[in-house]
Amino acid sequence: MPSRPAGLGWRFGVLAVGAIIALLVALPVFRLVYVVWTEGSASLHEIFGRPGLGEAVVNTVLLAAAVTVVAVPMGTLVALGLRRADVPGRRWWRFALLLPVLVPEFVLGYSWTQAYGRAGFTDTILGLPWPSVLGPWGVWAVLVVNTVPLTYLFAAVGLATRAEPNLERAARASGAGAASVLRDVTLPLLRPSIAAASVLSFVLTLGSFAIPQVMGTPAGFGTVTTRIYRDLSLGSDPLSFVEALALALLLVAIAVVVVLPADLWLGPRLRITRVAHPEGAPIVTSRGGAGRWIAAGLGGYLLLGVVVPLIALLAAAVTPAVGVSPSPSNWTFDNFLLVLTSRNAEALGRSAVLAFAAAALLTLLGGCVSVLERRRAGRAMASLVTLTLVLPGSTLAVALLITYGRWLGSGLALILLAYLAKLWAFAHRPISGALDRLPPGELQAARASGAGALTAARTVALRPLAPALLGAWLICFVTALHEVTMSSLLYGPGSETLAVVVLNSQELGRIGPTAALSILLTLVILVPAVPLWMLIRWLRSPRRVRGGARSRSLAHAH
Amino acid sequence: MPCRGRGRFSLLLPLALLPLACSPGDGGSTDSITLYTCVNDESIQPVISQFEADNSGTEVEFFRAPTGDLNARVAGDVRSGGLKADVVWACDPLTMQGYVDQELVGEWTPDNASGIPDQFRTDDYVGVAVLYMVAVHHDDVPAPSSWSDLAGPDYESVAVSDPNVAASALGALGWFSQAPDYGLDFYATLEDNGAEQVSTPDEVTNGVAQGLYQAGITIANSGYLAKDEGSPIGVVWPEPGAVAIYGPIALAQTSADSALAKDFISYVVSEPGQQILAEAGSYPTLPGVEGPEFPADAPVVYPDWPTITADRDALLGDYQKIFGG
Repeated sequence: MPSRPAGLGWRFGVLAVGAIIALLVALPVFRLVYVVWTEGSASLHEIFGRPGLGEAVVNTVLLAAAVTVVAVPMGTLVALGLRRADVPGRRWWRFALLLPVLVPEFVLGYSWTQAYGRAGFTDTILGLPWPSVLGPWGVWAVLVVNTVPLTYLFAAVGLATRAEPNLERAARASGAGAASVLRDVTLPLLRPSIAAASVLSFVLTLGSFAIPQVMGTPAGFGTVTTRIYRDLSLGSDPLSFVEALALALLLVAIAVVVVLPADLWLGPRLRITRVAHPEGAPIVTSRGGAGRWIAAGLGGYLLLGVVVPLIALLAAAVTPAVGVSPSPSNWTFDNFLLVLTSRNAEALGRSAVLAFAAAALLTLLGGCVSVLERRRAGRAMASLVTLTLVLPGSTLAVALLITYGRWLGSGLALILLAYLAKLWAFAHRPISGALDRLPPGELQAARASGAGALTAARTVALRPLAPALLGAWLICFVTALHEVTMSSLLYGPGSETLAVVVLNSQELGRIGPTAALSILLTLVILVPAVPLWMLIRWLRSPRRVRGGARSRSLAHAH
Repeated sequence: MPCRGRGRFSLLLPLALLPLACSPGDGGSTDSITLYTCVNDESIQPVISQFEADNSGTEVEFFRAPTGDLNARVAGDVRSGGLKADVVWACDPLTMQGYVDQELVGEWTPDNASGIPDQFRTDDYVGVAVLYMVAVHHDDVPAPSSWSDLAGPDYESVAVSDPNVAASALGALGWFSQAPDYGLDFYATLEDNGAEQVSTPDEVTNGVAQGLYQAGITIANSGYLAKDEGSPIGVVWPEPGAVAIYGPIALAQTSADSALAKDFISYVVSEPGQQILAEAGSYPTLPGVEGPEFPADAPVVYPDWPTITADRDALLGDYQKIFGG
């Protein structure tokens, strides 16, 4: 497939997607550079020489590195552990591991302070506070919990596509121990997937804002994104605004240094054409209860990382006032009633429709880049769509406002553009991984039998790609629904989204209603997630795949 | 090929759904203005609703966001065709003065602004609501009578909010830095005694209510709200006075001819407008209009905003040496 000469359709595809990348990524970034250059070039040395900036840059890079070196091995270990057939409830764990992603980022950070901080849940109940939860250690821990599901997904996809069970069995039969097989056979094969997860984890942490702001700033721990927020907060004078934009571009520069070489090096190595077992290669399980230990470890991780913080949040939501004991006699649902208004419901509905549309378009765009990047002409696209992922939401929103605000005004159209620009890489990376598993022979056979390009793609490619497409859609939908920063800056009169409701609640400064709203937001995602999980499981079930393959064979025979 | 049409439809579905999300309501021919503000929803909505009810056929569309986002939105507007607001209602004079310096707002105040005390207005904007920085203390410790008590031996842990984030905290910093017997040494002593900095005044209130801190400096609305809900705290207006930070309203220079925009500002400054604002929980600036809880003879002091505006960077730099960040 890769060696075929580029046709007209292919060239059109490259041009069309290239144009969209130019509109969504290149032009807004260029506008930021232009504003910084025209309005702040004389002050750049002053901006970058300001006290504390060096420390913020070091903090940001160290934090990104510290999160990556822990989250990537953890995600990989979890994926390796869940290959074992002796882990009780293996399929359930695969779903449960995604829980941290389903909880909004700002809710996760906030709930940790309620759970483990001084006067928090564990302090009140057990007398066990963790004072460092506010500060670099707390920020690091929550970011790790938030990143592990992503690195796990990468490792799981890597295992499904790259593992060589026969090689592993051969090594075991030749007398190699489990550790040797892991070190000498499995991990070297997984190396490109691990490296890709590392790049994304690093870039995501560079641009993370909500958790450092909620948990780091009170302890004097600043990052580049919290500094940008500070500049904007007191930035009604033009220089502070230019400083915020310059710092955002600094993040882009750091991302370029990391992403571009990694993509150029990794791209060709990540691409394989071999079809692997879709559930990951099963291995021989050893006896001795290791599976139970793995399940216990996963349970502990989820309990401490998500469940206890959410319980703390629930306790705050049913407590009438801060400082009042969360004992059953004090429980009230007033906080829930306060946020359950028709106006909030309308905003939620608007956000849901917007997130639905954004996720659908992103899945399409992600698929396009995944296909086009397999040729030389489209290779840089994957790196380019990652650049806007690292831009802090506020800066990307400003970039789109100054690029398109003149024509689009403010409102949902601009918010949609912001979602597409910010989340394109989110949609692209999982689809790109799944495309490797697509058997090229079947597509060619369909075309040779007279099927048009679209029919061949629909009947042959779409079915095996369905889980990945649904996964990409889901991750974009959830992220878009939770997004606060960009939509709160870009919404127009009469088009309030969920973000406006969330910010209003937070700003009123009352913990009870904020906690109640956070619980409801988490439920809004969790409740539909269960049937969707069942749907994905059904789509991936071997019986259905075999049935689909059989019906395709029959269709070809006719 | 039974599915061909469905396939196309599914591609168009997301685009087809967008108008559903974009429907703000019925159109109709109304005279409308756009308001940019950082004032919270609970305070702004009743004022707008009453103005629209009093002036049938008019509509006040508004963009509401925290000061940082408001600044970003204004900066974005300026670079994409100009400010899109007719009226700006800010939460502190520092932000508004920045807009005046960029010639975005100002050069007009309503006639009835003369009823507002001098310390709450300039020739470009007029204060319509006030935030008072007061002291809160946990029920387990005695109430401070003066600000200097917080730096004394009775309080081992005090919380202050970040002047880099909250303009009210910057106003307090500005006043303390110039006040006799206080100065920046006040903050240095607080820090030496174990005081901690949190982000916003609300976090100060919550921290004191949770027992994390014995006392703190916060805004009166936040303190009274928590106390009324049952939090174990007390609210004190210490000597020499609670620090008053006013939220000003101004006309956009590009809307100098908009009668409706001017009418709206006049309404917010007027007694009925101030009354609505007071009932919604804000402290009004117009004398004689009764607002939220205000102890009899409570002392009040006023920061010198022009000086704070001029010295902001140096002031924040010196403060940063004490509390870091």
